[in-house]
Amino acid sequence: MRIAIASEPRLLSILRGVVRFRAREAGFSDSEAECLAMAIDEAAANIIRHTYGGRTDAPLALEVRCFRDRLEFILEDRGPKVCEDLIRPRPLEDIRPGGLGTFFIGSYVDERTYDRDFKDGNRLKLVKYLSGKGSPCNEGSSSQSG
Amino acid sequence: MKVQVRNLDKVSILDCSGDVDLYTSPRLRESLLAEIRAGGPSVLVNMSGVPYIDSSGIATLVEGLQLSRQTHTPFGLFGLRPNARSVLELARLHKVFAIFENETEAVEKIESTSSGI
Repeated sequence: MRIAIASEPRLLSILRGVVRFRAREAGFSDSEAECLAMAIDEAAANIIRHTYGGRTDAPLALEVRCFRDRLEFILEDRGPKVCEDLIRPRPLEDIRPGGLGTFFIGSYVDERTYDRDFKDGNRLKLVKYLSGKGSPCNEGSSSQSG
Repeated sequence: MKVQVRNLDKVSILDCSGDVDLYTSPRLRESLLAEIRAGGPSVLVNMSGVPYIDSSGIATLVEGLQLSRQTHTPFGLFGLRPNARSVLELARLHKVFAIFENETEAVEKIESTSSGI
């Protein structure tokens, strides 16, 4: 499943809805699906705020790949290359507004990697494994729409 | 997301309904900071209608907390749904905010809760 949207904050709810649906379909619990929805929402929000600097007309795509043991979420943008070394969650004891998005992403997914070979922007892959449960999804299934 | 303000005798209550995310959190921020700046005796945020809150929403609440400390305005939250509560707990903010189960408890205790300041 692939969804392409503009970098509009009001469209983030659509991404959350898709992630919740696909996560439940893949065998994750409601609370796990909610956590995954938040992780993808935070990653997309970071793209809008930081990579695009608040632009609302730039392309943003989410692809969800369902495997027997995991879900993969691929977020693509066309912004300037992200410097991974600068992406750090703030210490939790430092109580101030902001800086928690990266922390939530890291808390809710098992893997987070940038595709260094992706030329036209950034491609971020977030992976969440099912914990010992079978998935109704077919190995490697990935359909395209939108 | 909607924010409606109720001004009771000794407390202002912001009733929030809907998701609080990057799109809607500026609305909450505007109302929350305005209420705290207005100098009401106490400010409470009713979270019972908020099924989802992201880091921008959390940041808004932290900003409100900081402003409330500057203005010495007791500030608290009540009616948190499980998702919002778990997010605050994960970020270790559940002991930073004055959090109450419901409106009755919040109104009764907010003024005497030192952690609300």
